[in-house]
Amino acid sequence: MAPKRKASANLTGTAKSGRASASSTPGPSTPRDIDSDDEPNSPEEPAENEQDIQKAVDRFTLAAYQDKVKRGPIDSASRYFGDNGKRDFSYLPLKPDYKSRPIWIDPLRGRIILENFNPLAEQAKDFLITIAEPQSRPTFLHEYSLTPHSLYAAVSVGLLPQDIVNTLDRFSKTPLPQSIVGFIRSCASSYGKVKLVIKDTKYFVESNDPEVLQKLLKDPIIGPCRVQGTETVTNAPSMGGLVIPGTSNAAGVKQAQLQQGEHQHPETTEKTQPENPFDALREDDDDDNQEAVHAFEIPDTSVETVQKRCLEIQFPMLEEYDFRNDDRNANLEIDLRPATQIRSYQEKSLSKMFGNGRAKSGIIVLPCGAGKTLVGITAACTIKKGCIVLCTSTMSAHQWRQEFLKWSNIRPEDIAVFTADSKSKFPGNTGIIVTTYPMVTQSGKRAYDSQRMMDFLTGREWGLMLLDEVHVVPAQIFRKVSHSIKSHAKLGLTATLLREDDKIQDLNFLIGPKLFEANWMELSEQGHIAKVQCAEVWCPMTTEFYDEYLRTQDRGLKSNLYVMNPRKIQACQFLIDYHERRGDKIIVFSDNVYALQAVALALNKSYICGATGNTERMQILDNFMHNPAIRTVFLSKIGDTSLDLPEATCLIQISSHYGSRRQEAQRLGRILRAKRRSDEGFNAFFYSLVSKDTLEMYYSTKRQAFLVDQGYSFKVITQLAGMEQMEGLAYNTPRERRELLQKLLVDAEKKQAELTEDTDDLFYTTSKKRRVRRTAGTLGELSGGQDMAYIEQKKSMNKTLKKKPQQNVFFKKMAREKQRLKDQR
Amino acid sequence: MVRAIKGTLVECDPSIKSIIINIDKEKNDYIIEDLDDSHLLIKDVMVAQLKAKLEERLKETVPFVEDDSGSDKQ
Amino acid sequence: MSANASSLSEYLEQLPGTTFRRLYQQPSTTFAIFRRMLPNLAKTIVMAILYMPGPFLLTDLEIWIKASAKREKDQAISILRSLHIVQRDASPTISLTPNFRNSLRLALEGGGDHNSFGVTSTHPVPSDIDVNFLDRYAQKKWDDILHFVVNSVGFSNGPGDRGSNGPKQSVKDLMIRGHLVERRGASGINITQAGFTFLLQEANAQVWTLLLLWLESADAVASAKGAEEALREGLDSVDMLSFFFLLASLELGRAYDTDALTEARRNMLPNLVDFGLVYVPPANARQFFPTRLATTLTSSETTLRSVSAGFAAAGNLNSSAADNASGAGAGESSQDKSAIILETNFRMYAYVNSPLQIAVLALFADLKYRFRGLVSGVLTRNSIRRAVDMGITSDQIVSYLATHAHEQMHRVAASAQKPVLPPVVVDQIRLWQLDTERMLATSGFLFKDFDDYKEYNEICNFADDIGVVAWRNDRKGMFFASKVDQIKDFMRTRKKANESK
Repeated sequence: MAPKRKASANLTGTAKSGRASASSTPGPSTPRDIDSDDEPNSPEEPAENEQDIQKAVDRFTLAAYQDKVKRGPIDSASRYFGDNGKRDFSYLPLKPDYKSRPIWIDPLRGRIILENFNPLAEQAKDFLITIAEPQSRPTFLHEYSLTPHSLYAAVSVGLLPQDIVNTLDRFSKTPLPQSIVGFIRSCASSYGKVKLVIKDTKYFVESNDPEVLQKLLKDPIIGPCRVQGTETVTNAPSMGGLVIPGTSNAAGVKQAQLQQGEHQHPETTEKTQPENPFDALREDDDDDNQEAVHAFEIPDTSVETVQKRCLEIQFPMLEEYDFRNDDRNANLEIDLRPATQIRSYQEKSLSKMFGNGRAKSGIIVLPCGAGKTLVGITAACTIKKGCIVLCTSTMSAHQWRQEFLKWSNIRPEDIAVFTADSKSKFPGNTGIIVTTYPMVTQSGKRAYDSQRMMDFLTGREWGLMLLDEVHVVPAQIFRKVSHSIKSHAKLGLTATLLREDDKIQDLNFLIGPKLFEANWMELSEQGHIAKVQCAEVWCPMTTEFYDEYLRTQDRGLKSNLYVMNPRKIQACQFLIDYHERRGDKIIVFSDNVYALQAVALALNKSYICGATGNTERMQILDNFMHNPAIRTVFLSKIGDTSLDLPEATCLIQISSHYGSRRQEAQRLGRILRAKRRSDEGFNAFFYSLVSKDTLEMYYSTKRQAFLVDQGYSFKVITQLAGMEQMEGLAYNTPRERRELLQKLLVDAEKKQAELTEDTDDLFYTTSKKRRVRRTAGTLGELSGGQDMAYIEQKKSMNKTLKKKPQQNVFFKKMAREKQRLKDQR
Repeated sequence: MVRAIKGTLVECDPSIKSIIINIDKEKNDYIIEDLDDSHLLIKDVMVAQLKAKLEERLKETVPFVEDDSGSDKQ
Repeated sequence: MSANASSLSEYLEQLPGTTFRRLYQQPSTTFAIFRRMLPNLAKTIVMAILYMPGPFLLTDLEIWIKASAKREKDQAISILRSLHIVQRDASPTISLTPNFRNSLRLALEGGGDHNSFGVTSTHPVPSDIDVNFLDRYAQKKWDDILHFVVNSVGFSNGPGDRGSNGPKQSVKDLMIRGHLVERRGASGINITQAGFTFLLQEANAQVWTLLLLWLESADAVASAKGAEEALREGLDSVDMLSFFFLLASLELGRAYDTDALTEARRNMLPNLVDFGLVYVPPANARQFFPTRLATTLTSSETTLRSVSAGFAAAGNLNSSAADNASGAGAGESSQDKSAIILETNFRMYAYVNSPLQIAVLALFADLKYRFRGLVSGVLTRNSIRRAVDMGITSDQIVSYLATHAHEQMHRVAASAQKPVLPPVVVDQIRLWQLDTERMLATSGFLFKDFDDYKEYNEICNFADDIGVVAWRNDRKGMFFASKVDQIKDFMRTRKKANESK
């Protein structure tokens, strides 16, 4: 398979030094630090918007619904559970048949504990994933959190508060705590009440409850926005008849079956448990689907005002797209190819999106390698309207187009790519445009053809907007995108909806709620993603390095010392050697570019970092994939996301971005789609090398938290048997180690060895400005020319590779395709 | 002439030794003699204090990761 | 044989022959030791020679026993000898010691006026004192003791509970002297490693541990104040031991006559009441009731709950009471049995209700929240460290978790052919303990500045031979010794020898 070049985690590092100043505002390749999201980057972004969102967020806390009963300690053990035993919930009586019920609910924080071995666990999980956030899913007991956002998501897929309460109560071992009931009622009632729908390119505010609508109309801000004389009453949509393509060969498959996820075996669906909450709901809906819906129209220009105001008065608007009744926008001829089968979890995720026959906006979370692209394509094939796809990089955009052609029957001319060097449109009145976030959010003056293309994008109405890798893109980019490009439905895709700050919550309002989050362990058990053995290798610091580590106050130097710890480099060398012999292909990750280069040179391996030119990158990757002699490649963080190297079966990380749980998950994702994953007994390997007694140990524990809660376990290796005896071990003499230390110190003095982190993605050319900086800083070292003697003697592996230029078939094809499109234009 | 010096033999790994030496640097009132990579001779009266300081230092270099699953946040 | 036999037998084996002669004067003691302390083969041998008129040839014995069982036979003989049941001489014959023989015959045949198996009380028995009552009473007493060990004393057991201040001060002192707990700071009491081991034992073994501590303290008093004084306080260890065996032969639920006891034994009763082995009705001090803790002392089956399986019983009592109050169903027992789940993400979920068992978990886990029947917690570097600082070892924690692993853990482990506890977590618990042991301190003296290598070598080798060298460096000519007295003597002698040369 050809390398897939998608997006990258343009996330970290740069904004610290204020480089993300207004002048470089969301232009291409202006990656943002996670902390920088709220920097007032674009002047047209009113800061108060953030506050509005915060107001809405703040209101929905469980604390508001706590019962006021003062409880003292229950018995002598209560004191172990918080002040005055407040987390001792043993006052909740058990139901007589509690053993057959799978969950407990914490009345204080809305935590749900699920017995995964309970006979009802499967049904309960199906339900919980809809109404709650999975927190930890190891083997026996899973934990979920009820949050305002998870309830928002639940309501948005059509669950009613009463259904949520009833179903939870049925699964619960104790009677449902009143605080939980109150919380659900309040959240759910305000969330689901008001919808924003586009009909015939007109925006309508819609509600089942005429009183709510009256309340809105009386509002001093919303009222005047109404287009006079537009109140309508229609019937609520029924979900019958909609079939998500690819889910079954039988066209008339019933929605109820979709929820079961067992369509490959139609006979099993016969036996589906009546307890399934969705079935119950569906029946209800069948009975009530003639319920009247009230709506009034608002002009396009007021949409944002109304949305904001609705948040303020605690009726956040849901956005839904009744695409089957959209006669105004032309239908796109697109369907999945007959041979395309989507997997049960992909289908489950889509059924959340299309649960009531309309398309709901939201985010689907699937681990890397679990087929997010196909989910997006299937969504497009379901809606069958114009579609715009936003990715993080140019190469990723081309990749998306390829995937569309591969899985669906869309005509090649109906799908176009809009990037810096490709500005084609589709010929008909509808089609698909694949572009990048930077392309559509660029501020400042554009080239003539770019501007023309932008006018084309903003001047029309899109059925679906696919947002790739939503976790890496700052909120205001989404804001900008959704303001300028009108789409009826938005679908965000990501592997890890996880950020070290809490900014992720904003996505709930900017794109939509999380619709689905897959269980990593389950996918791995089922063979959809590779099984991985994780290990944390403890490398003691050498005495010289540790003395220096303790002495210096310079954080950068400290970091370079623990990253470049000779024992760690040796461990890396040993593991590479071991796994190369086993026949593995190995990726070594280092955030610290200085270390990346030094270690790669010392071990005579090729490396790719931000400063590596495009041609060189491709040569290296091509060799890694096809040349049996090249089994190892070193990557900076540019390889964290989207880089698809199915050959890789072993990862070694020698330096990472502090305690970033997301980076850990993303990196693990690099080997989840290993080609050999379905081989009997196949295991991929993930090693994290950490220097003992340094901050790295602390970060390492933090980083693993997410994966550990997914059920992965990191074995601690304190000693690599046989390492000391390895021949040709690097830095094996005290003299070599002293020299290495000297070099680190000298470079630190020269400030050349500052913690250099790559921020661009693998295939996106960096802006001139940044390139210049880098040249002045560290480019000289790339050649190895000014390094000390022991490095100088080693020829850069990168250069050896250069001598045999060899282009990957895929890229040749890609280039031809590009040329053809240009010619067409 | 043979000398017998009263003191406490401290046996530790090199990293701990580095930290002890670093602690000693402030006032030089812990270490009597640096014996080898993993042994030091420490003043008897200072041992308890040294243990406490070492503990403190280790906590600084590798802070405990708090588990927040029991916190009162939602 | 269960765990308690070993500690009891260790205690017995170090007693002198004279003590045994006194012990074996009592048929009840003799019978109890015969019943409790002997393996079956040893019992067979004793029974075979009990009524033999004269010594029995060892060679004849060998004919009885299969050659393949030689080891068992040797072992049996060795136990019989160590307990002074057979004569400890080197003769080629085997014979029972006279006291043992006579007492065992008496025990089997009855007769005599030794009252060794207790005298039942002739007073009317209050109707509310039945086996149930005695079990609850004993359990409460014993739980108080265990609570004290896990340092959870003085907290109310919920509304309606008058609260407990834990066991009597004398019992607390006994446990402090026995190093099951130790004082930390002004008023704090903390569990020790021995205390945690104690907690992990079965109830029967725990009772013996405490009784043996009591015996040892009686010996200590005797040696400090003289045997006469000790005797007056009812602290004659041989008589105490006999009394324990007597109690073990009594019948649960029956009232016994206090007046039939010797004065010394009557003086022991208050302590036994504090341990929960005996109940004396407040209305009638002339009666005493042995509890199950006493009557099972020498039986091998554990009829009463132990910390492990037994907490379930305790939990049952609590929860059934609570369940009755709330109207919910009872029957948590099956869930309460071996019920800890340890996940790979270091979370721990324990299906328990008993405050005592929760207190034990709190020793090494950070507890998060509790539902009826479920406690959630997490093992952290901090929580393990706290436990290790108290002296609990990582191995003890791991073995505790393994012993109580939930059946689901066993099921999954068996089907995946993996260890019951997640190896990564077990490793980490051990690593966390290692983390606390990174600095080893030994006080002593550093020897340096020797006149020549020969001098260094001789002295250092001498010190090494007597096992006091903690570190040496031949190149530097230095060594560190943990003790110096003998080295100084040696140096003086050596100097003299050199001078005289």
